[in-house]
Amino acid sequence: MATFELYRRSTIGMCLTETLDEMVSNGILSPEHAIQVLVQFDKSMTEALETQVKSKVTIKGHLHTYRFCDNVWTFILQDAVFKSEECQETVNRVKIVACDSKLLTQ
Amino acid sequence: MADDHSSAIIPTLQNIASTVNLDCKLDLKGIALKARNAEYNPKRFPAVIMRVKEPKTTALIFATGKVVVTGAKNEGDAKYAARKYARIVQKIGCHLGVKFKDFKIQNIVASCDVGFPIRLEGLALAHGAFSSYEPEIFPGLIYRMKQPKIVMLVFTSGKIVITGAKVREDIYTAFDSIYPVLTQFSKKTLQRVEESAANT
Repeated sequence: MATFELYRRSTIGMCLTETLDEMVSNGILSPEHAIQVLVQFDKSMTEALETQVKSKVTIKGHLHTYRFCDNVWTFILQDAVFKSEECQETVNRVKIVACDSKLLTQ
Repeated sequence: MADDHSSAIIPTLQNIASTVNLDCKLDLKGIALKARNAEYNPKRFPAVIMRVKEPKTTALIFATGKVVVTGAKNEGDAKYAARKYARIVQKIGCHLGVKFKDFKIQNIVASCDVGFPIRLEGLALAHGAFSSYEPEIFPGLIYRMKQPKIVMLVFTSGKIVITGAKVREDIYTAFDSIYPVLTQFSKKTLQRVEESAANT
């Protein structure tokens, strides 16, 4: 199954990449294995978000900029309100990058 | 006070579509990636769709360098917006020799409300050569005026859409010549006629 590399730039993805880099440079891990781990990470993130995350969040804000290119939507919102069942938070500026998961199954 | 043959109503311009040629081959993907508020989905449409907030307009930017600007409310804004798009494309770089050639207003759309309901069947019968009224297909009467060459949509409510003009004067001329006709087919006029007939 093809996956997006979208989540590698998340905090957890960055930490994993950093650790793998360190392990490769210390000779504990081969570069091939490190890449394999990252690919597994992509798959696991997609799967986990699909099956294990039940909470819903709504994001509402002023659309400052949008872009659609290569099937990727990019939005920059100003004064965005993130609302979930438990809490609500306002963020001054937020960038949303979104891909169409339907493209993976094609 | 306005008499039956002229009105104080002035149609409001709603949309101006214009074109300009940047006279230079464009890298649409590069533009979509670098410009703000751009959409490019070559599978669906072979142009970049870009918007600017002021004047609030939308542009279709084609690889040939041809640009269509829509949404402007007056001629000045249409040209100003077109210049803005040209500037954006130029600033993105990788496009040497962006020009601003053959800017032309292609269509002007205006609308207004005459303030009385209209008998479309009557109008269609009296002006058969110009009218097409098929309520089962479209609720408005389509009036194709020959001089100036303008198309009007006339609705029972008294709301009018005037389109097909290249200059705003044509909109005004067309409205001034259709207005007396519309007053003839005002539902109020008919009521008045019927009432006076009933009274005698």
